[in-house]
Amino acid sequence: MRDVAFVVPVYNEASVIGDVIADILKVTPYAVCVNDGSRDGSAAEIVKAGAFLVDHPINMGQGAALQTGIEFARSLPGVNRFVTFDADGQHLVEDAMRMVALLDDDDVDIVLGSRFLGASVGASRAKKALLRAAVAFSNLTSGVRLTDAHNGLRAFNRHVADTIEITAPDMTHASEIVELIARNGYRYREVPVTIHYTEYSRSKGQASVNALNIAVDTLLRKVGRQ
Amino acid sequence: MIIVQLLLVAAFAAVFLYALRSRTAHGVSATKKIAFMTFMLVVLVAVFSPRLVTEVANTVGVGRGTDLVLYLLAVMFCFYVVNDYLRGQEARNQVHKLARRIAVLEAQERYEVTREPAEVPERAAGTHQGADGDR
Repeated sequence: MRDVAFVVPVYNEASVIGDVIADILKVTPYAVCVNDGSRDGSAAEIVKAGAFLVDHPINMGQGAALQTGIEFARSLPGVNRFVTFDADGQHLVEDAMRMVALLDDDDVDIVLGSRFLGASVGASRAKKALLRAAVAFSNLTSGVRLTDAHNGLRAFNRHVADTIEITAPDMTHASEIVELIARNGYRYREVPVTIHYTEYSRSKGQASVNALNIAVDTLLRKVGRQ
Repeated sequence: MIIVQLLLVAAFAAVFLYALRSRTAHGVSATKKIAFMTFMLVVLVAVFSPRLVTEVANTVGVGRGTDLVLYLLAVMFCFYVVNDYLRGQEARNQVHKLARRIAVLEAQERYEVTREPAEVPERAAGTHQGADGDR
């Protein structure tokens, strides 16, 4: 599918990014990897694997990397559909393509992956409980009804790619995207996806303490906009 | 004049001269400059006449002049911290936009991707100078 671009934020993922890119290249030539100031060999691995390398001169955070990747992907010839995809191998390309296919329906701008509609392989009970709490919080603050607020797997159309502006540089961007869905009136749908929690992704995943940071930031943004 | 008064006046004079010499102060609004000078004057008065400060404190219902000064300092410190934080965020956002532009342009050149159709990038509200107070 030559009109689909995968946007993959990469920060110190040299050991796994090659395999992730190889999977993506099976379905589209457009794997856009934003190297967010990695200190390992991520940039070289990205080039070697045959993906587009967009190189942040400094580390700016995952949200900032997503925005950069989307802006570059917009300029690729013929690309009209976009996927955000994690670099650590926890997402499945098949899930992403299933979500992309849903964009053909006229009534949806963005499709979000949900861990809770699907299977979570290897997630701890505590992690699941925390994620559910995050969802309740997100639904409450954004007005958008979702079952999973912090899933990195999303598919969206040109309209969303042209209008989205993620300003939260760090992990708060997931909540910000949900807020943008509400504010910009994107028509959304949620589909079950499988997440592979491996030893590697668990060690790379955000610390649960960070949930508090995200919650406070979200509330501050909300108050600040009134 | 007692020694402490001499030292304090010297210190404030130094700060004032330093502020005057700064070439980057052009963007600061006149209101802020006047407010700052007024503040320095008030401080000078307080240094030379602590009794006056105590009288002011008594009229607003505070026992000692030093307490009043402490409260005012606490308020000003909080204001400063918030202001500084917001300014830092604004600066960070600008750096991020700049870095993103560099990264995208460089990648587009490397892969010989045609640029996006000539669009005038719209300026986000509040990123220009002088709008530091609206967020």
